[in-house]
Amino acid sequence: MTASPDITAGAGDVAAFRAGGAPVAAGGVIRSPWLGDVEFGPQSELFFPCGLPGFEDERRMLPVEIPAQAPLVYLQSLTNAGICFLALPVFVVDSGFRLSLSEDERSMLQFPEDRDPAIGADVLCLALLLPSGDSVRVNLNAPVVINLHNSRGVQCVSTGKPAGCFRLEENGRWERAC
Amino acid sequence: MLVLRRRAGEAIAIGGDIEVEVIEISRTRVKLGVRAPRAISVSRRETIPVAAENRQASEFIGGRGRECMEEILHMLKKFSSGEV
Repeated sequence: MTASPDITAGAGDVAAFRAGGAPVAAGGVIRSPWLGDVEFGPQSELFFPCGLPGFEDERRMLPVEIPAQAPLVYLQSLTNAGICFLALPVFVVDSGFRLSLSEDERSMLQFPEDRDPAIGADVLCLALLLPSGDSVRVNLNAPVVINLHNSRGVQCVSTGKPAGCFRLEENGRWERAC
Repeated sequence: MLVLRRRAGEAIAIGGDIEVEVIEISRTRVKLGVRAPRAISVSRRETIPVAAENRQASEFIGGRGRECMEEILHMLKKFSSGEV
């Protein structure tokens, strides 16, 4: 699949590429084994100053949304085409999710200390999909948080009140697993 | 466990090429700076299980994730469409 990107970043939206849009002048093309050739502009890149735990060198990521697969979001590494994560917005799993950022995480996101970020308006908050038998699970204690104002990202590892792990059941409900 | 007392600005050395410096001490926290070779992974302890999960997450798309994508999407849409 070759995707011609058309970024649609904004309040509450995932910075997303939609097939069929106008090509972006600058940026590059990532040849993803999972998504095909994805063309992207520099404004679409996410920067993770510390990578993700276990993937500390993966600092440049591209969020890719395929409308037919919404609400899933691909997080494709731009330094290693073979690395890609599947994620979805935390509110799909738990509408009552509350984000808690440590001082270091705020600093990495360059988010001011005088107020809490609003999910959707200030930050995008994604949960990575993990295999769980015939289904999938997510760990909301470690959401991937992206500052929508500057495209910086960090995976927040909560040390406060645990938000829990949830498993997707056959009936489409997310059940708490831990 | 070796226990050492240090003040802000002081450091400890681990082996010949790792240094941990106390940068700042506040009422409830201490800010540390670590100098280590790039090959040495330095992380907060609580991120270690998350790193293992992330490795699983990255393998998912190349394995079962691809096979069962339709099924996952079907399950996700079931609930949001009010089928249940």
